Amino acid sequence: MSITYLEAIREAQAKLLRDDKRVFIYGQDVGGTFGGAFKATKGLAKEFPGRVLNTPISEDAMVGTAIGAAMEGMRPIVEMQFADFSSIALNQVLNNAGTIFWRTGISCPITIRLPSGGTKGSGPFHSQSMEALYSHYPGLIVMTPATVEDAYTMLIEAVAIDDPVVYCEHKYLYYHLKADRLPSEGLPVGQARIARVGRDLTIVSYSAMLHESLTAAEKLAREGLEIEVVDLRSVKPLDTATVLASVARTGRLLAVGESFPWGGVTAEVIARVAAEGFHLLDAAPARVNAKDTPIPYHPNLWSAHRPSSDAIVAKARQLLRE
Amino acid sequence: MPQVPIIMPQLGESIAEATIVSIKVQPGDEVAADQEVIEVETNKAVMGVTTPCAGAVARIDAQVKETYPIGAVLGYIEASEKDAARFTNQTVADVRKEVPKEIPGRADEEKVAARKTADNGAKAKVSTDGLPVPAAAKGAGFLSPRVRARMAELQLTVADLAGIAGTGSGNRVTIKDLENYLRQIESQMMSDASAIRSGVADAMRRSWSRPLATVGSSVNLDPLLNDRKRREGKPGPALYAVRALALALAENPGAAAKLIGSRLLQGNSIDIGLAIEADGGIIVPIIRGADKTSLAELVGRYKELVNLGRERRISPDMQTGGMAAVSNFGVFGVEWGTPIPLPDQTMILGLGVGKKMPRWDEAKAEFVPVTEAQITLSFDHRSLDGGGAGRLLKRVIELLEDPASL
Repeated sequence: MSITYLEAIREAQAKLLRDDKRVFIYGQDVGGTFGGAFKATKGLAKEFPGRVLNTPISEDAMVGTAIGAAMEGMRPIVEMQFADFSSIALNQVLNNAGTIFWRTGISCPITIRLPSGGTKGSGPFHSQSMEALYSHYPGLIVMTPATVEDAYTMLIEAVAIDDPVVYCEHKYLYYHLKADRLPSEGLPVGQARIARVGRDLTIVSYSAMLHESLTAAEKLAREGLEIEVVDLRSVKPLDTATVLASVARTGRLLAVGESFPWGGVTAEVIARVAAEGFHLLDAAPARVNAKDTPIPYHPNLWSAHRPSSDAIVAKARQLLRE
Repeated sequence: MPQVPIIMPQLGESIAEATIVSIKVQPGDEVAADQEVIEVETNKAVMGVTTPCAGAVARIDAQVKETYPIGAVLGYIEASEKDAARFTNQTVADVRKEVPKEIPGRADEEKVAARKTADNGAKAKVSTDGLPVPAAAKGAGFLSPRVRARMAELQLTVADLAGIAGTGSGNRVTIKDLENYLRQIESQMMSDASAIRSGVADAMRRSWSRPLATVGSSVNLDPLLNDRKRREGKPGPALYAVRALALALAENPGAAAKLIGSRLLQGNSIDIGLAIEADGGIIVPIIRGADKTSLAELVGRYKELVNLGRERRISPDMQTGGMAAVSNFGVFGVEWGTPIPLPDQTMILGLGVGKKMPRWDEAKAEFVPVTEAQITLSFDHRSLDGGGAGRLLKRVIELLEDPASL
């Protein structure tokens, strides 16, 4: 049996609906025959009648309703059609969901699924990664699973957590990534994973960029360079300890992220290593991000805009020459 | 006719590229096998690039003053089919296609490098693989935070890294270089340096951060050697030197002024240090107000200090301050040296061993034997110039050659 990243997300939701009566799914067309924009909820409405609910096309209303349900003891999962559209619900997510517990002592256990990141030809409004923006605000947990296994266990964990969780699933990985079976348990949120062991350079990455980073490490291995690759798994909380331990082994840091460079996750990783592990660095830390422009439609432009394994290899080589 | 490339050879370990110095052949020239056709320079030496086989020079792509990586094609030889066949299996990187096509990131870099060239006229070349050592090494100026942290942990200083050939950019010492070096020295015999040795090392390193210069001359010791026989306690030449330097500085205290920032500090008292060899190192106790201390008093003070030194009881504050010091390196049979002044002192006077030398006597119109010693003054060139130092040294010599005045 082989299961894709997208199927793992669907399976996790099925399990959650099955195991916990408080769970319901809320989103545009999630209850229709198609099962959301990407079929992540396909068949669930039939299997769990009345618990997979279609909403009007208003992200603001969707999240606002889910917050109310969560405060009353439910465990809603909100599906955004695209991460890009979640900006319409920013007021609900940042000002309400993120602050409720701190203002009232009442938990707000909502999970917002953001189909994130770029695929060829998707352009500026269907390709963006929002994890840095949500991580900036207190009160939210931001997950960025990079593997089929993490997509499954982290979504289950997201619903179990009493704080609001922004779950960034990567559209590029939906069909590309396959696993043999689903795990019964995974690493807890806030714990990074060493995806590849090395001693010459640490690449810190997450989500789809983990795979570009691993490909880059593979290419550099042919030259005898041993690259360690860290998968952050969740960008908030950020597992600084694992990153620092890796940099302690290698002395060099390259942070790789698909989102825009300004104030992004890569910037945060570098800031933390520079502040807490300056003495570990044998070269100035570097990063690879998308370009600081809107995401282009044209496939060639898109390929140049998004960090590729070749761009990572080039940057790593430069860093190793320092 | 087939062409065989002339390739930049591997010129030694850790050498990644070399700069062309001269090209000794022109297209069309007949060349023998292993004939030196191009002269190249690395940061270590000038070496020759030789022809792979006999033939005629087809073309030379390399240009003088340009830097090329190891393995780059510098030109081609028109060779016989037989010779060409021997080289067909060798894969080579063409100079003009230095950056491999399959790595787009590298091509980007070259574009950036090319743009830089337009900006400052200096050509930045990208070599094909590995960690290149630039042909024109600028020395290891940069130490990464990690290297610094490791050095602090091991109590190493920059001077301790002098023996490490860095492999980082600009020949900087990377953490790997440092760790490799530490591993390598572990196999050698090691013992802990004494506290006094470490103290001297620290003082010398700090002092060496200043521009130091030395002037020297010779002094006739005969008057001094005769004078000391008549004096109580028979003061040694070093004490005469302390006294002469003290009196010379008392006349001109500005000569030993210390430069701190943009201000000159002049001591309130003529305090002169005297270097004494002690267990595994050197200590320099200070004689306060040496210009007001007679030679007879100096004899007593010196004996006291030597005894204290033997018992290792010369306290740190007996060694601080002072504007100058005297090193009587002549006691080791040495004629000449350039001692380094202590970091908080401006100068040090060095006295060599006395030797019988012929000196021309104008009155007698003949050479006469005199006991002559070399005398040096090493000083901080920031606050004192050769002229000032020379005048001070001249005055010290005058006083030493007229010991009754001391």
